[in-house]
Amino acid sequence: MKNINIGKKLLNIATKQKAVLAVIVILVIMIFPKTNFYTAYNLFDMIKSVSILMILAYGVTLVLVAGGCDLSIGGIMIVAGIVAIKLMNANIPMWISILAALLVGAVVGAINGYLVVYQNTEPFIITLGMGMLLTGIAQQLTDAHPIPCNNPNFVKLANDKLFNTIPNLVIVMIIVFFIIHYILRYTSFGRNCYAIGGDYEVAKYSGINVLPTKAMTFVICGITAALGGVMLSSMLNSGSSTYGDTTALVVNCGVVVGGTSFAGGIGSAPQSAIGLLVFGVLQNSMNMLGIDAYVQQIIQGIVIVTIICLDCYGRKRKREAV
Amino acid sequence: MRERINFKNVIQTVFRDYLVLAAIVLLVIITSIVEPKFLTTGNLTNIMRQFGPLIMVALGMTFVIICGFIDLSVSGILSLVAVVTISLIEPLGQVGALIVGMLLGTFCGYLNSVLILASGAMKQAEALFITYGMSTIYGALALIYSGGRTKQMSIVKADTSIFSAIGTGTVGILSVSFIMFLVCLLLLYIFQSKTYMGRTIYLTGGNKTAAELAGIPIKRSIALVYTISGLMTALGAIVLFSRVTAASPVIGKGYETNAILAVVVGGTTLIGGNGSVLRTVLGTTLVILMSNCLNLLGVSVYMQYMLKGAILVLAIWLDSRKQL
Repeated sequence: MKNINIGKKLLNIATKQKAVLAVIVILVIMIFPKTNFYTAYNLFDMIKSVSILMILAYGVTLVLVAGGCDLSIGGIMIVAGIVAIKLMNANIPMWISILAALLVGAVVGAINGYLVVYQNTEPFIITLGMGMLLTGIAQQLTDAHPIPCNNPNFVKLANDKLFNTIPNLVIVMIIVFFIIHYILRYTSFGRNCYAIGGDYEVAKYSGINVLPTKAMTFVICGITAALGGVMLSSMLNSGSSTYGDTTALVVNCGVVVGGTSFAGGIGSAPQSAIGLLVFGVLQNSMNMLGIDAYVQQIIQGIVIVTIICLDCYGRKRKREAV
Repeated sequence: MRERINFKNVIQTVFRDYLVLAAIVLLVIITSIVEPKFLTTGNLTNIMRQFGPLIMVALGMTFVIICGFIDLSVSGILSLVAVVTISLIEPLGQVGALIVGMLLGTFCGYLNSVLILASGAMKQAEALFITYGMSTIYGALALIYSGGRTKQMSIVKADTSIFSAIGTGTVGILSVSFIMFLVCLLLLYIFQSKTYMGRTIYLTGGNKTAAELAGIPIKRSIALVYTISGLMTALGAIVLFSRVTAASPVIGKGYETNAILAVVVGGTTLIGGNGSVLRTVLGTTLVILMSNCLNLLGVSVYMQYMLKGAILVLAIWLDSRKQL
């Protein structure tokens, strides 16, 4: 009897915390083969490589919690990175250029928010179109070539290491994490987001200012995406229009993998961080094991499909139970 | 007074239902004035050829969108079918390769629907992510199968007369691929408007719960739309690699957004339950004419990409205003 209870509890934890389980499984598997996986250098490198996606993911979490969806983040990311570099190459000071890039993100986010919330359009299709538009703008700005940055300080922004161990990029990621976590958890704005995502009508009738709140989530998501783009450009010391192709879908999938639901109302920043970590750990360990790049793509696809299907299936069972 | 209101109504109907047609006519008039090369036979044949792959994919996508879902896996299926079919021409002969290619596309589409039905994904967003994941898998399979190499049709040792006919052949003034499109359109139009299954797709898209309670087999119609989408994508793949006489494992990239663009611009609503394959034909015509005109006018490819995105956003915005 007791055994069954423990089994049930474990099963419950496993279904609820799929992402944590996945990370633990991969980490355990990686103990056995002889690789350089468990070295400080590799572990920091792994975190650094997912940091940019994580920065984007925190903004997406906010949008998904409020019941929206943003697929234009890939486009915002590359456009913001290119804008920052273009301005710096025109001899404008670094901080002003970065602020301008963040402003671009905020403006695109505001347009998304206006179209989705005030004009009542289907969020993921309109943002998909917006992403396409932004990719076109990025190609037009760079002529589809990577453009290098003339300002020598810019590359230090993401690549310098604090105490010679922790890359600045990871620190920025952690700061954004705490800000978004604070917003979602301890401000009335964040709590309102959960209410709106949980039940739009109820939130509306209980006096929450639904329209501006929901639109604001898109603006914040635009700013985090732009910040991710600036950090990406800084890490690579160049701006290119080719990186953002699959970013939006990977980040959204990662956030859902972490346990945030498409239906809205459920999710948090730590969960999203773990969801993205699944992808980072998976990619890194597959690289370490020397798995073929095409096979990696298949494995990634299978992971995405499996976890999204499980997410849908869980909701279906809940619907049927009611 | 009365006449004025009628006039206003006419304008409103035109703007609501025939905006695409008006845009096409306007585009043709403006371009033929600015660039006289537009109305030459050579250019018109060129436009007819460009029609082939996109319209096939878009016709299949129409049913998926009418049913209230979306299919992002078409780019993966397109690449996979193209590389598999071209590699099978030598061992199986042309007809065998054609049949296997079409079966493969149909199977891939069916697999999507199996996953969607098994997980109970009844929302467009859920279907979007599942089919995106499947697209990654199909695309990776295409890369593994072909070893990442592009295969030219000219190095195939067997007879490739059917494929060259699809690619470059003409019957009278119409190209073979255009005739294939007309046949598909006719069949799909009859399916859409005259058969029981065709109408259940509309009902499913309109309101899934109501349709299910009214005894409509919604699961069967969801499986059907994805299967049709897979089959039409396979046909699109065959037309595409016949035209460019080579199959690369990333040949299908971008087709999913272009197909959605064509369907939505044509006026099929994303919410589902509304639309027609004829509208998709109009939408595709507009998309292809636009890129042809912009090419003739010497606008850069990047600018065209930007304009396409802008038109997609605009079309969806107008589409949602219709609902209000």
